[in-house]
This record gives sequence, C-alpha cells and structure tokens, in this order.
Amino acid sequence: MAIDDIPRLGCGRSIDRIWATIDRPPTAHEEKCGQCQTARTQLRGLSEATRSLRESDLHNPALKPRPGVKNAIMDVARAEVRQGSRILLRSADTGITEISEQALSSLIRSAAAAIPGVHPRRCRIEIRAAAASLAGEDHPAGTTVMATDAGPRLIVNLRVAAAPGIVIPLAAEALRHEISSAIPAGVGIGAGTVNIIVEDLYDV
Amino acid sequence: MSDEPLQGSIITSQLIASLASRTTLETPGVLRLEPTIQGFLARLGPSLQHLRNPGSQDSTFRHDGVTATISGATARVHLDIATDIAYTALDVAEAVQRRVQESISHTGLTPGAVDVTILAIEHRRGTANM
Repeated sequence: MAIDDIPRLGCGRSIDRIWATIDRPPTAHEEKCGQCQTARTQLRGLSEATRSLRESDLHNPALKPRPGVKNAIMDVARAEVRQGSRILLRSADTGITEISEQALSSLIRSAAAAIPGVHPRRCRIEIRAAAASLAGEDHPAGTTVMATDAGPRLIVNLRVAAAPGIVIPLAAEALRHEISSAIPAGVGIGAGTVNIIVEDLYDV
Repeated sequence: MSDEPLQGSIITSQLIASLASRTTLETPGVLRLEPTIQGFLARLGPSLQHLRNPGSQDSTFRHDGVTATISGATARVHLDIATDIAYTALDVAEAVQRRVQESISHTGLTPGAVDVTILAIEHRRGTANM
C-alpha cells in the first residue's frame, strides 16, 4: 500500500503548507473549510510562541535556539494539528483510547491509493454512536463519542477523481472494499458506512 | 531521638513520565510518542511553558507525548502515540495501557487511568510499499 508521507488534513491540504502561510490571510478554500480553519487556529498559538522565541533571540544572543529547533517545531506543528478532532474508541478501567480524525483520514487515503485509477481527494468522517442513532441524534465530526460494537459508527465520505476509461462502479466497489478492510485491520473498529463520490476525472 | 534512619521515597511525576515513555516505546506496534506544544515549551524552559499553560501544577509533568500526574498515591498518564500500520492500533493501545500500569505499580504508586490518543498510523520507516 502506498502511503502519503506528507501530513494532510481530511480536505487534502498539507499541514506544512498551512503552517507556512499562517501569517497570511486565509485562502478562499481555507475560509470555507472547517478543517483548515481549525488547523489555522491551532497553529496560530504555536506561531505566537515561536515568534516570542525569535524576538527573545534578537535581544538576547544567549537565547539563540539550538540546532534542530526548526525540526522540533515542525514536528510539534504536525502533531498539534493531528490532535484536532478525536474519536473515542474505547473506555475501560485501564483508561480511554482515542484516535484523531486526522489519523483515520490518512489511513483511508492510504487505502484508497492502493486502487489503480482512483485519486483520493477530500475525506470527511462523521461519527454516529449506536446510542445516538437510537435516539435519532447525529454527532458531527469533531465531537467525541463512544464507538461501541453495535451499529454503524463511522460514516466515511470520500471524494475521488477517476482515470478516464476505468469502470467506475467496479473501481468504487474495490475502493469501498479496501477501506472497509483497512479500518478494522489498522484501527480495530468496524468501517461503518463508506460513501464514495466520484467528482472528477483526471488525465493519466 | 531514634538512631533508626528514616525510610521513604519520593516518586515524581517526571519519573512516572519517564517510565511510561520507555514502556510505551518498547511496546510492539508503537512507532513513536508524538510531541506536544506543552512538551516542546517545557524543553525550552519553564517560563516559556507558561505561555501555553499558565495554570500548570508541579504534580503534572509533560514531555513529548507524555503527561504524567500524581494525585495522592495515584499516578495517571496520558500518551499521544503513532502506531505501526502493520498492527491494529486499538490492540497496541491496550497493550500500552496494560504495560504502563504494570510499570507504575512497581513504583509503589497506584496506577490510575492510562489514556492513549492515537495521532498517526503509519508504516515503520523503511517498510512502506513492501
């Protein structure tokens, strides 16, 4: 399975790119995209801390950052964005286990990359707890809910571009199968509902 | 005054964090602990940490991906981890929780909750596309 080494949000935007442009006004996409807005908000705090550090360095040479500080900041920036929305996987006496929506989204995109002729694009994950489903309440992505064994938990909405000439229903089915296998294998929970939207064609 | 030496030990949240960190990284399927802003600022200096978390207390210690808190005789830990895609993340987290609790119990403290957040699921470096 190929894997994208560049950390990305569910909408496909690179976290590094958002960090690089954090001091600029948001793009048209970022103004509309909830995930980009959340990432920008979280990264702004880090940006302010690093700006404070830089200014300290300017006035006090003794505070010059050690080699590797930039890499450390980038590691923190990536991890901080991954911390965004979390999904509660299990609660036990030993403690709770959560997964970030970002980690789940990356896993889905990696699974999608294994299907020839399909390019994954935007991936959104909604959560529906069994109890909430019974009560008729939806929990939008970003809220923490319990993923129990009963009923659908995840609703994966993946937008893809397809290569011209492929049989789209077959490719979509293969993609759904790949994702439905990757989530239980990689995370340990059921895949729930996998919605695939073929929104565009791309040139091979 | 008695000549008997006083016997006692002080277990710090830093020690618990160190134990938890080592135990976690030794658990099969764990790739790394994920850094946090709090841990990063803690490395730069205590005063900078207050930029992010002005209300931090001495009983809590944060380092990259690990937060350890001691309340009374109970130690609680929060871990931010990345797991190997070849393993099932939930199973890895369960093993981490079990092992860390066992490590804490060796200090004489009561192990409290060990909360785990999986922040990334990736190929171990050098094994992608194999």
